[in-house]
Amino acid sequence: MILVALLAVAQATAPDPRLERLDPAARPPVVQLVDSARAMGLPTESLVQRALEGAAKGAPAASIVAAVRRLAADLGRARDALGPDAVPAELDAGAAALRAGAPPAALTTLRRVRRGSLIVPLAVLADLVGSGVPADSAAAAVLALAPSIRDVELMEFRRAVERDIALGAPPATAVRVNATARTARPGRP
Amino acid sequence: MGKDNVGTSDADLVRRVRAGDTDAYAEIVARYRDRLGRYAVHMLGDREDAEEALQDTFVRAYRSLARCDDPARFGPWVYGILVNRCRTAGARSARRRRVFVRNDAALNGAALPDAALRADFADLVGWALARLGPECREAFLLKHVEDLEYDEMAKLTGAGISALKMRVKRACEQLRAILSEAEHV
Amino acid sequence: MFDAGDDLVERIVRHLREPVRVDPALDARVMRDIDPPGSTARAHPWTWVALAAILAALLVVWPWGSAPAPEGGDRRQFVLVAPRAITVALVGDFNDWDPARTPMHATREGVWAAVVPLPPGRHRYAFLVDGAEWRADPAAPRAADDGFGAPTSVATVEAGGT
Repeated sequence: MILVALLAVAQATAPDPRLERLDPAARPPVVQLVDSARAMGLPTESLVQRALEGAAKGAPAASIVAAVRRLAADLGRARDALGPDAVPAELDAGAAALRAGAPPAALTTLRRVRRGSLIVPLAVLADLVGSGVPADSAAAAVLALAPSIRDVELMEFRRAVERDIALGAPPATAVRVNATARTARPGRP
Repeated sequence: MGKDNVGTSDADLVRRVRAGDTDAYAEIVARYRDRLGRYAVHMLGDREDAEEALQDTFVRAYRSLARCDDPARFGPWVYGILVNRCRTAGARSARRRRVFVRNDAALNGAALPDAALRADFADLVGWALARLGPECREAFLLKHVEDLEYDEMAKLTGAGISALKMRVKRACEQLRAILSEAEHV
Repeated sequence: MFDAGDDLVERIVRHLREPVRVDPALDARVMRDIDPPGSTARAHPWTWVALAAILAALLVVWPWGSAPAPEGGDRRQFVLVAPRAITVALVGDFNDWDPARTPMHATREGVWAAVVPLPPGRHRYAFLVDGAEWRADPAAPRAADDGFGAPTSVATVEAGGT
């Protein structure tokens, strides 16, 4: 019985075999970061993927470790902002939004005003800020739309804003115009 | 959009169908098939989807013919049904994310066609059309290709006239921007 | 109608207004679908035509489709125009950043495509051209640079496949 329990613990803490692909300089620090994240109850899959991405792109060990450390910190902040019930995919998207510059308060408010999955609103928030929209404009727009708009329409909103920016509109204006157009329109298919 | 040269108007045909002459409906289908097909192909970017939407449109139009208030304006009325069928088809295929790669179809979300690709103008237009949002594409096609008036379009689409004008304007701007980029590559 | 000097949009409209020819066989299909007034309940021939068409469509789609869509997720199509490439791989969070897992197929000269089942969430990815050059997807949002020295794109899949 004890042996089984010990084996179970050993299995649970065995490093992810995929991390074998990492450079020997990067592997131990990454394994440790992943373990700490797991101990804190944070999802670890995106940490592993970030490390694999660095390995695939031939990045130096120091960059890989730094990137994984940053992401782990962002996931922690995302969970603080979104609450313990957030699913891994929401934490990933939240981490991206925070890294892009969205204020943690925006995430907390989003959780309050929108039922259901926050994956898409958080991803749209991250993508907008990544496209050059000032963080507060992006947050204000997503929060204004969040209570009533469907995921697929939010993604269309993001595309429309990016199109307008590509056509030369100042990012904050592009967001404002498109958000106003959508809040003015009663829900349509 | 109502009378053909020989003299049987849409209104006449519609009345005959309502009176029980089903074969007269075949005449209506033949008359509108290519024109509605043109809108559906450009709107959906896929010939199979377009033909399916088209067939669906004609069947629905037949079944609700009693609700066509003015038989002389059968044309705009059936366009309304087609526009709705295309919206449903568009939403369905967006979820399926099908690969369109045919001569007359668009490359949804693809990168800018390289000039080294011997893409002809038709391919570029299809591709650029696909990059417009569905509302802008719909408004642009109805106004400039199908020649509907704004008040007819407003009835069909449920959007206001000024919103429709803005969509058409934006479509023109975007097409110009997308395609002049493509031509200068 | 258009702004002055708007040759390009006029060219586009002229092209789009060209007649499109739809197969006249559509007429017969429509007429078969329509119940003639006063018909009695019977097995309509079009039912079998429709069933045959559905089966035929499934036979076309089935072998082409790979894994079924993951629960709540979606199948996504990725496209890159790279006429001079010999190989293009789709590499991302969904295949452990392994360039060997999702080679893309050239569907037409210079156009590379792959269809991948994706679970809900935000997925980082990029294209690897000829095993050496990383390219972002011009049609997708960019991910924040992670100091890896190569561009990355993001695909977002909604939960519950709206």
